[in-house]
Amino acid sequence: MSVDTARPAAPRPAGLDNRVVVDGTALSWRDLPELRLPAPVALLAHRARYALAAARHHAVHGTELLLTTAGRADSVLRAELSEAGFTVIDTGGADLPPSRPRAGEPGRLWLLTSGTTGRPKRVGHTLASLTTVRGRQPGRTWLCPYAPGSYAWWQVVTLSLTQPGQHLVVVEPEQLDDWPTLAATHGVDAASGTPTFWRRALHRDPAALARVPLRQLTLGGEPVDQTILDRLREVYPTTRISWIYASSEVGAAIVVHDGRAGFPVEWLDRPAPGRPTLGVRDGELVVTSPYHGVGLAGPIRTGDRVQVVDGRVLITGRLDSDEINVGGSKVSASAVRDVLTAHPQVAWARVGARRAPLLGHLVVAEVVPTGTVGPPDEAALARWCADRLPEYAVPRRIRLLPEIPVKETLKSDV
Amino acid sequence: MTELTRARIRDLMGQVLANQGKVLPDDDDADLREIGFRSLDFSELALRVEDETDEELNFDAAGLRRIATVGDVLDFLADLQRP
Repeated sequence: MSVDTARPAAPRPAGLDNRVVVDGTALSWRDLPELRLPAPVALLAHRARYALAAARHHAVHGTELLLTTAGRADSVLRAELSEAGFTVIDTGGADLPPSRPRAGEPGRLWLLTSGTTGRPKRVGHTLASLTTVRGRQPGRTWLCPYAPGSYAWWQVVTLSLTQPGQHLVVVEPEQLDDWPTLAATHGVDAASGTPTFWRRALHRDPAALARVPLRQLTLGGEPVDQTILDRLREVYPTTRISWIYASSEVGAAIVVHDGRAGFPVEWLDRPAPGRPTLGVRDGELVVTSPYHGVGLAGPIRTGDRVQVVDGRVLITGRLDSDEINVGGSKVSASAVRDVLTAHPQVAWARVGARRAPLLGHLVVAEVVPTGTVGPPDEAALARWCADRLPEYAVPRRIRLLPEIPVKETLKSDV
Repeated sequence: MTELTRARIRDLMGQVLANQGKVLPDDDDADLREIGFRSLDFSELALRVEDETDEELNFDAAGLRRIATVGDVLDFLADLQRP
């Protein structure tokens, strides 16, 4: 990669004059470094500045691009990309030429899946298929806490690149713990994050969070339960709170604004032109979407478990990890997690299985207390669960953690 | 491997019951059915022993057939730790 300080010659995206705050400095899209990138290229960005510059480069020149963070690309993935014809550019390290050079595919953008089902795999998109917000939006300053190149990152970035008045404040990984201060300083009034991201913010410093003047608050990337929606509503009584279901494979498929977990059962199997069709097959969410990644067509099994409760379709967790077999009785880990997080002194919980003699597995949990009063002890939490769950579903070991764990994906357990 | 004493296993058994609002009787002859100590509780107790000894326990239901009292549980888990 080379960096040219000259400004791009052919500025086409409509949002190029939008403000972009990166490394705490306010710029515009035009002020970002001008990169000279080969095609196809896999850019492994160490800093958001170069990831944004690469996104702008693609929007202007349309050359084939795969964008991700250096941390996600181990040596095996780098070799695979080289084999697939990419020049692998590490903005903080050594580059790798393509082992099988090929011509770039104009307009192609590649995303890496989050790797929840194994090794990351490439999903093909275009800037158009990633630009799911097309109608004119009210002017907003968006927080962008996501890792560069993820589906959620592209959602915020394409919005700012394509619509005037959609500004961007980027959170670097080292700023993640104190993002509310950064956001308040730069007038962020719209933010999107995972439930884990929001739980951490509520847990670390709810007063700092409340100082961010949000008019739009969005959750996605993990199951969204009623407790987190209610806790955010307490901090933001008049803000529009939405949750979104999206993935690299099916695109943005569900958006819900009514402040409730799940979506109305009436939305199932209801075809509408230009919109995804939602279905449930054997307890699994199935999506047929115009925003599918390239090569995907028809109904896509998402691997996400759903339950219909009181007229709402709840997306509760991954099918392959949600079910725990306790001596022949089936337990939904997400149902137990929801019971724990509903405890007033619990900020976050993770539930899983542990191998145990006699019964095969027992339910176990890790919990982060809110810290507002003395932390609940294991016995109190076990009794809370016993009042709300079958005996075999009650976590038998509950470990208290001091801080909510989070990965680069802003998720904690997938 | 850390070998737990019978007294320490009794403490852990007490914790399992205390989490359910129950009290472990002092009498080793107390009947497990009467104090409400069941297979889920036995598995949990095994996990607690594993956590303290850092060693995985292996046994099956057949080995538990003759276990009826608190003392039987303590003896069984104490014996299980011995090579």
